[in-house]
Amino acid sequence: MKDMPGTDAPRGALRLMSGNHAVAEGARLARPEVTPVYPITPQTPILEKLTELQSAGEFVTEMLTPESEHSVMATAMTASLSGARVFTATSSQGLMLMHELLHYAAGARATIVMFNVNRTPASPWGFWPDQLDSLSQRDTGWVQLYSESPQDSLDLVIQAFRLAERVRLPVMISHDAFYVSHAVEPVDVPAQDLVDGFLPPFEAEFRLDPDIGRSIGAPVDQATWNQSRRDMAEAMGRVIAEFTRFGAQWGRLTGRVHAPLQLYRTEDAEIVFVTLGSLAGTARVAVDMLRRAGMRAGLVKLCLFRPLPAEALRSALDGVPVALVLDRNYSVGTGGVLHQELKSALHGTANATRVHGLLTGVGGVDVPVEQLVDLAQEFRERVPENGPIWIDGHGR
Amino acid sequence: MQEILILGRGGQGAQTAGNLLARAFFAEGKFVQTFATYGGARRGTPVSASLRVSARPIRLRSNISRANALLCFDDSLLDRNFLALAARDAVVLVNSAAPPERFARLAQVMDGGRILPLDGRAIARRNEMGKVVNSALIGGLAAVLQAPDLEGLASVIKATAPARTAENIAACREAYGLVRAEMAEVAA
Repeated sequence: MKDMPGTDAPRGALRLMSGNHAVAEGARLARPEVTPVYPITPQTPILEKLTELQSAGEFVTEMLTPESEHSVMATAMTASLSGARVFTATSSQGLMLMHELLHYAAGARATIVMFNVNRTPASPWGFWPDQLDSLSQRDTGWVQLYSESPQDSLDLVIQAFRLAERVRLPVMISHDAFYVSHAVEPVDVPAQDLVDGFLPPFEAEFRLDPDIGRSIGAPVDQATWNQSRRDMAEAMGRVIAEFTRFGAQWGRLTGRVHAPLQLYRTEDAEIVFVTLGSLAGTARVAVDMLRRAGMRAGLVKLCLFRPLPAEALRSALDGVPVALVLDRNYSVGTGGVLHQELKSALHGTANATRVHGLLTGVGGVDVPVEQLVDLAQEFRERVPENGPIWIDGHGR
Repeated sequence: MQEILILGRGGQGAQTAGNLLARAFFAEGKFVQTFATYGGARRGTPVSASLRVSARPIRLRSNISRANALLCFDDSLLDRNFLALAARDAVVLVNSAAPPERFARLAQVMDGGRILPLDGRAIARRNEMGKVVNSALIGGLAAVLQAPDLEGLASVIKATAPARTAENIAACREAYGLVRAEMAEVAA
């Protein structure tokens, strides 16, 4: 599982590295003061790289390796509430072991940034790219971002800190196992000065300190608990505008603009793919192939999943006759999570888009570009079904 | 875009081969993407590495199903399933002491192209490399593809070899020369 040596060679500003190492470089640049981590396949190269950078003196942080992911999140939360910038990383079983404390951390408004490598939940046991692990945490109060590439992963770690500390909510970023985590590619690693200019040091508005005397998370009455969720909703409500602003600012600094939704060739589109994560890369190529064959195809990629950019989705799909949702996840008993979310975003609007929910790549089966081209041709005229449609992938 | 598949047994260096080739192409200004089998991979089990090389940024995030060139570290692994991943007219370089005729029947499942044996073990032995064949095999593959540049590949080996740098480079050059000669002979 280890990334191989000899891959980190510079070419101009670009360096060759895996998606996981790009995450570690992003974390290094963000200067977290506390970094509790527990290793798990396929996240381990993130931890390995962080410890390597730390021992070389390039990553100055207090690194902790507690006995489980549950303790990692407990550590992350308390460190964050005492005013430290905190980074951690996990995957699948590890993320799900944290579940109780994900709610806790968000309710306590801890501004943790966590990287999750999307991997199939057991059982059966597997190591394959599937987003059910993080998507099933959608109700925990964490902001959720999805990365398409190693470069995206580095960029999003840095922006996530800015976002978390601005709205006082924890932020989770995910990238797909294997196709992103273990893909070695050219990555632009920005200079520390650039990142320092973008991301100021964390100044906690409230913090635990023996000299101050404060308690966070004490028992409350019903109305106060109720109010805590209203406050979180208000913070979530600001995420879209803040991420749009920070993403544009990051774009001015690096040439790489980030936004809640990324649209590719959708202006005149008669059919669009809607997806998140690494499938978006393959979908871009499918869009170009379909356009060459005379079909006006496009792509709507969600970089931000929580809060759901519903207004932007409605606007992106306004006048688009057909949307094919590509879900690399399956919520048993309902369908693809993104399919459900998109339908709810469009419900009650005048929007007449025919939405098809396609289960592509569930369990990590391969989704070749030719398959996406075929699906666009097959579903263009079909009447949508309410539920999901299983698509056989390569390896099935 | 070129798509290359490498198949070997865990511990033989197939994944390292993918990384070294990627690094050499990257140094030439190409965009690259490489990833290796993971999960159940361990010493002795079949492992594969995939490599894409392009003049433009690579957006595909899927497996390679039509490779322009295939490299097989162990002839006992060369089967129809692996050859089914070959594009039309692909060249398959296989580490084997057997003569080319041994692979003639297997080659019939391919859509054009050919299977080219290269005795990596013998090259490794001649260069005091023991059983380490990956520097020879990437030299052979570079000759098949006529890329990356042999000198660039030698520099990558020089920068990354954990031991026996000169021997690794010599094995790479010898394999490159042998395969170049073989390719020229076929073309003539």
